[in-house]
Amino acid sequence: MQSYWFGDVDEERCSPFDGDVNSCVDRIRSISARMDTFIPLDWKQSVLCRTCRDRADYISRLQAVCIADAERSIREQYSGKDAELLQMVRTLDEIDTVINLLSERVADWYIIRHPTFSRKYRRTPAHVLVKTICEKSRGALGRVAGEIGHLTDTRTALAKEVSARANKVMPNTSELIGGLVAARLLSHAGGLLELSRLPASAIQVIGARTALFAHVKTKSPSPKHGIIFQHRRVHNAPKEVRGKVARVLAGKLAIAARLDYFRGVAVPEFLNPAQERIDAVGKERKS
Amino acid sequence: MIWIGDVLVSRGEGGVYKERMLGGARVWDAHRSKLSALYHVGTGVEITQGMQVLYLGAANGTTVSHVADYVEVVYAVEFAPRPMQDLLEVSRRRKNIIPIMADAARPEYYAPLVEAVDLLYQDVAQPEQAAIALRNCAFVKTGGFLILMLKTRSVDVRKEPAEVFQDTIDALTAAGLIVQESVWLAPYHHDHAAIVCTKPSG
Repeated sequence: MQSYWFGDVDEERCSPFDGDVNSCVDRIRSISARMDTFIPLDWKQSVLCRTCRDRADYISRLQAVCIADAERSIREQYSGKDAELLQMVRTLDEIDTVINLLSERVADWYIIRHPTFSRKYRRTPAHVLVKTICEKSRGALGRVAGEIGHLTDTRTALAKEVSARANKVMPNTSELIGGLVAARLLSHAGGLLELSRLPASAIQVIGARTALFAHVKTKSPSPKHGIIFQHRRVHNAPKEVRGKVARVLAGKLAIAARLDYFRGVAVPEFLNPAQERIDAVGKERKS
Repeated sequence: MIWIGDVLVSRGEGGVYKERMLGGARVWDAHRSKLSALYHVGTGVEITQGMQVLYLGAANGTTVSHVADYVEVVYAVEFAPRPMQDLLEVSRRRKNIIPIMADAARPEYYAPLVEAVDLLYQDVAQPEQAAIALRNCAFVKTGGFLILMLKTRSVDVRKEPAEVFQDTIDALTAAGLIVQESVWLAPYHHDHAAIVCTKPSG
């Protein structure tokens, strides 16, 4: 017997499937074919089945069912809690880029207006300079600097939201590496499911694409860490064990991501020993 | 195929992706569509009004919309939700596009929806493109065609594109398909090749 969307077809008999578009979607999700014994469907059988009147009717019914199925799939995929977090963290990183670009430009502009100005020997952080420019400049320059200030406020608020959301969506991963970096891992992987399917070795070098391909193509050393370097445990570790910390941390992150995907709650039995293990590696010294 | 001078066009409702119109027909840009590029650099397969087409890797429905202008019905398979939203919008406006949200590597899940087709067109960014095509050959009628748009860089970035090209041709031939034409799509698309096969009887 072969099951098609409009009914089940035996040697000569056909038992039609009755139902509206929605139950038809349920049906096509529950049936599948064995490809080795598969016989492509013949639309005329649907007429014999009395599901469809003619070719045009067949196509339009099938189209309606397929569109409904796709719409439902899309809705399901977007309703995953990770979908919005992904957009949030990408927006955050893009705002950062914009702030940096605009700050540099505004500083260059300010220097032209003040020929005696120099940043040498001054420890003025960029955001302080932008604030000064905003206060001291008239016209568009001052307004642009003001906008950078607003954008910085938005960025700070968004970073908090990202962190809080990550703690909810990926509690185990966030516990190990912090909400922000966890969210960035998610963003690079493309989703929680995708992240949970990555091997630890891949998680370790997420975000080090250039170095990784340089390694694959030439004989340069492999990258030790990608964005997990942003976490204090990696960048604060002594240089000689940094690679090892990154490796152990990535190993635990791979497990954490799977826990997050399949359980969705923090698992202390895993987290406590994992934290200890990672901290222990960071304190090691090469003898 | 419909040519106005040396411009490839299709006849249908315009405005799908801000394409140019020429004499009431939609210009089919070779730089945007690999299938159009194939018709420019090679022969391809003459697609006609009565044909059924299975299209793997439908993406945003740009090329799909042109194919649909030529043939009776297109079964358009796409996996990712974002491009699918666009493909759905195109499908709602064309009666002969059946959008299927599924993984082209797993035809068993959409087999209950797809009839036998005259042409299997595949444009997917996957490492195992030849294997996916062969798995979907079950849908192709005897004497039907396969057009495989080979993204060599998706197969293996470390290998030379020419090597990937040859390996794929060998794999298709070994599976019993007859390779009719194989061309690079330069200058329109770099590191992309098209392989046209027929499915012999028996």
